[in-house]
Amino acid sequence: MSANNDKPLILIIDDEEALRDGCRQVLEKSGYEVITAAQGAEGIKMARERVPDMVFVDLKMPNMSGMEIMEILSKDIPDTILVMITGYASIVSAVEAMQKGAYDYLPKPFSPDQLRVLTKRGLEHRTLRLEAKKLKEEKDLMQKNFITFVSHEMRSPLVVVRQYFETLKEIAADKFDNDIKEIMERCSKRLENLEELVEHWLDISRIENGTFAQRKEAVMLSSVIKRAIEEMAPVCRKRKITVEADVPDNLPAVKGDEESLVRVFTNLIGNASKYTPEEGKIKISVEKDDYYIRINVTDTGCGIPADKLPFVFEPFFRVKGKEERDKGSGLGLAFCKKIMESHHGRIEMSSREGEGTTCLLTFPVEVETGK
Amino acid sequence: MTIKKKILLIDDDKDFLFATKLILEKGGYEVFLAEDGKSGVEMWKSITPDLAIIDMMMETWGEGFSVLNKIRATEAGKNTPLFMLSAVDLQGPYGSFEPPPEFPKVNRVLHKPIKADELLRIVAQEIGEK
Repeated sequence: MSANNDKPLILIIDDEEALRDGCRQVLEKSGYEVITAAQGAEGIKMARERVPDMVFVDLKMPNMSGMEIMEILSKDIPDTILVMITGYASIVSAVEAMQKGAYDYLPKPFSPDQLRVLTKRGLEHRTLRLEAKKLKEEKDLMQKNFITFVSHEMRSPLVVVRQYFETLKEIAADKFDNDIKEIMERCSKRLENLEELVEHWLDISRIENGTFAQRKEAVMLSSVIKRAIEEMAPVCRKRKITVEADVPDNLPAVKGDEESLVRVFTNLIGNASKYTPEEGKIKISVEKDDYYIRINVTDTGCGIPADKLPFVFEPFFRVKGKEERDKGSGLGLAFCKKIMESHHGRIEMSSREGEGTTCLLTFPVEVETGK
Repeated sequence: MTIKKKILLIDDDKDFLFATKLILEKGGYEVFLAEDGKSGVEMWKSITPDLAIIDMMMETWGEGFSVLNKIRATEAGKNTPLFMLSAVDLQGPYGSFEPPPEFPKVNRVLHKPIKADELLRIVAQEIGEK
């Protein structure tokens, strides 16, 4: 909109004086403000200064072609509606103009009515486009704010309560009898799970929202697996589960985000350890060919019933273990799936009840194209 | 008679101050509390504790850093043990805390919630037993 009043501002760039004047008369009578330029450079300068709502540009101009002007304007003032005034029967140019950013074309000779109708339609289109853009920005902002809101408002009380539990454990260890200590321990564990759930849910929301920061670097899967095993070592030790890894050092690099991939593996090892009895084993093995790297994480646990297997990646789906220790967030596998997808890979689960479960991760290898 | 070592906690979260004070007192330390950066720096100057634990984010993002800078700028504070606290928000707008190389020295970075036994162990490591 022109800065001073509510009238839409139209710019006409045409070397023909008669055309400029004619258009000005018609459009001013319709209540628009009109400015004109006789050649490209002047037109571009005016467009940049006044930022009109709509610009008409003649295709055939002596110094700078209408096409060139169109290209520049579509970059400089992207929200402005651009119309190419074309000569008689130059449809090819009209199409090219549209590809370069024109909203429509107006073939000469045209009547005042045709000019009015096109202008009205163009301005309406502009209004709609701006509204849609604003709505999308609002929606994105709301989603971001929602995630920020959840991340602070939900986490803060959880952190506080857990801190108090830590304090209780420390200062009252000798004052409380075992039943009370047991209750406190269980509450603490449930809170930890709740925190984990919030974290996972936040991550998944961020992945969907596009704000989950993921790098695209060369990642060595051998070091990812090594880190994950190290991180989970205390947990596995406590549950008396051994982890074996058969990972060659010369695996080709995979393009992605090392941190997320480490979390995928810690999730899988954690799951395996929850459903595997003491003295059990978790084995990580790797196969590769020219296009894929396949990693298997196998446990000797209780397995997943065949009728539950198709649902394991669904959010909040949990297979009830025989012991209800460590209820997970139910989102771990959903998270792993999203991460694998964003790495253009796959995750699949197979299992035999009473024998164990295998999780297969497939990564595409960076294919060298030689040249 | 053993003189208790002094620890100053600077955090705008009253619950956190209360919960942590109890843990540290159980560990035999004398604990002082400050609820914002300004009083935190003032208290530090008047008490000169053996250790100060500063929350990274108080009223405003990064206020903890300004407290850290002010303490390190003093003669007594150049080498005094200082811990920073963060409420982990690894993927959020603040990322994880990685002090740049020219940053004033932070002896440790802790994440909330802190396990009681871990806190006591780390504090003992830094300033010795009660």
